[in-house]
Amino acid sequence: MRRIVSILLLIIVAVGISLSLAKIPFGTSKTKVGRYYIDEGIKETGAVNIVTSVVVNYRGFDTLGEVTVLFIATIGLGAVLTAGGREKIRKTEPASLVLYTGCRLLFPLILVFGTYIFIHGHLTPGGGFQGGAIIASGFLLIYLGCRERRISRVAFNLAESLGGLIFVVIGLLGLAFGDYFLSNFLPKGTANTLFSAGIIPIIYIAIGIKVGSELASIIDNLIEES
Amino acid sequence: MGFLNNYIYYIGAFGLILIGLYIILVKRNLIKVIVGLGILDTGVNLFLISIGYITKGTAPIFSRPGIDSADMVDPVPQALVLTAIVIGVAVLALALSLAIRLYQHYGALNLRKIREQKW
Amino acid sequence: MVDPVLLIAVPLGLAFAIPLFALFWKAAVKYIPPVALAFNLVVSLLLLPRVLENSIIVSIGGWQPPFCINLVAGPVGVLFSTIIALVGLLVSVYALDYIKEGATEKYHMLYLLLLTGATGVVLTGDIFNLFVFFEILCISSYSLVAYLRDKASIESAVKYLIQGAVGSSLLLIGIGLLYGLFGTLNMADIAQSIRSVSPVSVFVPMVLIVAGLGIEAAIFPLNAWLPDAHSSAPSSISAILSGIAIEVGLYAVVRVIFTIFGAQSFLPFLALLGILTLLVGEMCAFCQNNIKRMLAYSSIGQIGLILFALAIATSYGVTSGLFQLVSHTLSKALLFLAAGYMIYRAGSMEISALEGMGKKMPLTCLAFTIGVFSLVGLPPFIGFPSKFLIVRAALATKETYFIVLLGLALLGTVIEGAYFFRIIQVLYFKGEKSNPGREEAPVVALIPMFIFVVLIVVVGIYPKLVNEVLNSAASEFLNRLDYIGSILG
Repeated sequence: MRRIVSILLLIIVAVGISLSLAKIPFGTSKTKVGRYYIDEGIKETGAVNIVTSVVVNYRGFDTLGEVTVLFIATIGLGAVLTAGGREKIRKTEPASLVLYTGCRLLFPLILVFGTYIFIHGHLTPGGGFQGGAIIASGFLLIYLGCRERRISRVAFNLAESLGGLIFVVIGLLGLAFGDYFLSNFLPKGTANTLFSAGIIPIIYIAIGIKVGSELASIIDNLIEES
Repeated sequence: MGFLNNYIYYIGAFGLILIGLYIILVKRNLIKVIVGLGILDTGVNLFLISIGYITKGTAPIFSRPGIDSADMVDPVPQALVLTAIVIGVAVLALALSLAIRLYQHYGALNLRKIREQKW
Repeated sequence: MVDPVLLIAVPLGLAFAIPLFALFWKAAVKYIPPVALAFNLVVSLLLLPRVLENSIIVSIGGWQPPFCINLVAGPVGVLFSTIIALVGLLVSVYALDYIKEGATEKYHMLYLLLLTGATGVVLTGDIFNLFVFFEILCISSYSLVAYLRDKASIESAVKYLIQGAVGSSLLLIGIGLLYGLFGTLNMADIAQSIRSVSPVSVFVPMVLIVAGLGIEAAIFPLNAWLPDAHSSAPSSISAILSGIAIEVGLYAVVRVIFTIFGAQSFLPFLALLGILTLLVGEMCAFCQNNIKRMLAYSSIGQIGLILFALAIATSYGVTSGLFQLVSHTLSKALLFLAAGYMIYRAGSMEISALEGMGKKMPLTCLAFTIGVFSLVGLPPFIGFPSKFLIVRAALATKETYFIVLLGLALLGTVIEGAYFFRIIQVLYFKGEKSNPGREEAPVVALIPMFIFVVLIVVVGIYPKLVNEVLNSAASEFLNRLDYIGSILG
């Protein structure tokens, strides 16, 4: 009974969406806003990666909101799972020597790779979120491979809140110096070099550190519970 | 065949959305419902990206001076999907933590049995 | 001149700074939400006289709309942000003593972020930004519903989360379809181009967006999550959820339908949905024995009434709907705050356990009684002019459809009066005759309750105080072309 009703509902939804999609042919250019960003992007923001300039500069407010959402999820997860203190670390069997040494060798390389991706967010594909996710995967490797190591929770909390504060403070500085919240008030430099694009690299570094530590602390909380 | 070639991304995204909705509506195990939520999110993100595609377009990055900007794809849906993926991850993480707590309280994850509050 | 961005940026910055405070100065953490909300209240009150004539349009980053995200601080936006700041401030003062166990600094962070998300929803002028702030609001409320971590809370939070997440995905599909049709995400820009495509192709995005937002706004039949969630959360959070979160969801629905789509033909159907929601809510509340569940079902009913009033879509109708919204927020928050301490002293949420509370906690029960009278619509409290205005607006349309629906609405009000008077009877006229001694709620909790009482009585006696603001707000909703013109020039 439940299946029949849900299949009927899904057929209605499917028909509705396909009727609407018939008006949006695939592969044609349908935007005016996108074309403006591509044409004026380098001149106005200084970043050669147009997606970065859209994410951080033109629609930077959405990115601020998204960073907040991840922050809320981390806190909510912490509030639901832990009672406030850390429980005793359970004894698990130690990993073999090959695994242990391999993880210790790979961990700094993964961190460097993730840092590279978010520092160069305005020049190559990538950015703060992508780099942060890679950093978190490095931490996951340590949790799975070298099981007795634990990173202090205080360090994670500090990194999260500092990253978020830097983002909001840069926005407020933009308000103070440039009359608009999140305006690009630092010099834009020459395109295609590392020190270009004004506030964009700084924001992406803050986001990269924040996202990396948030995802790592989510992993930390979930591993404690299982 | 031409129709399928042109619209394969829409059909794929669509299919994922419908599969995800079906799982959420029908399945009983909470973990399966959460997986369905993840599939629904993936379908919606794929749908958003395929709206921005321009046939034979390239990535909107001016990696060399003098690159032609006429057939770059639309950067705005990519920014939207970046945000949507992160929001999806956040919801999934919260859902899993609630599932862990629920299992500790009830000992089972069957949604039909977890109905302490009736009317 | 104060920039409206500060209404969102300052609470956000303070919420990010709370973990730093928790490391160095733990005792200060619970005072940060009242400080941030007091700042918001002051800024909103400063902005309110200036925006009654012309909205303040702020673009983020300094580019021209539609190539940027812009905030529209119009009469509606600043009215809502004043209410959010006021109710949030009072409930956060109440929570100074009410929230004692669990991870309290996380509670305060989530609380402040919930209210920031709500303020962002009402001030934004861009539809994807609406989605992002709406998600901030929803995800904080999922976490706060599960705050007490007992069986009922986790179950309610799981159901709320799954329904809310499906709603967000539907909303996102609708936004994607709108972007594919129009190529822009700015609300004014979409509103301008909406006539250039056939009505059939915008029907599906509109239904998807209204369904996605309607889950949070608790419109029938999408409100199955509400009774569980509002009754299992701690009482301060129930006050915020019933008083702010569902109203902000309803604002989003109305903004989308009136301003972006301009869908005049959809409104009678919305009025019907409103009356159905009202009847379902009131009838289910009548059969309840758990006081918080009863209050939650009553919230569903009131949202139905507000939706009906807003769907009348004349100047009288929208003004009366907004007035009813303000009155419901104030009354329902007061009811939940009073019920919080009554339940705490009685030890259970059953109505029968509250017998004789009238003698044990006289001040709290007096506040509860005033809240009940105001919600039912008795003079001289705020509920009376708001319901009277709704009746006058429905009669002024002179259409039988609305008058029939109005009759059903009055039936719902009668049912509401019946079950609320049952509670008053239990509180005052039953219970042991022996002297149980007085155990009043602490002063920190009584002060916000009595500020609510004062506001309810003052605005009830002089509704002209808020009349001008509500009229400007109503005209902003109804005049799409002015809205588009003020943003796009």
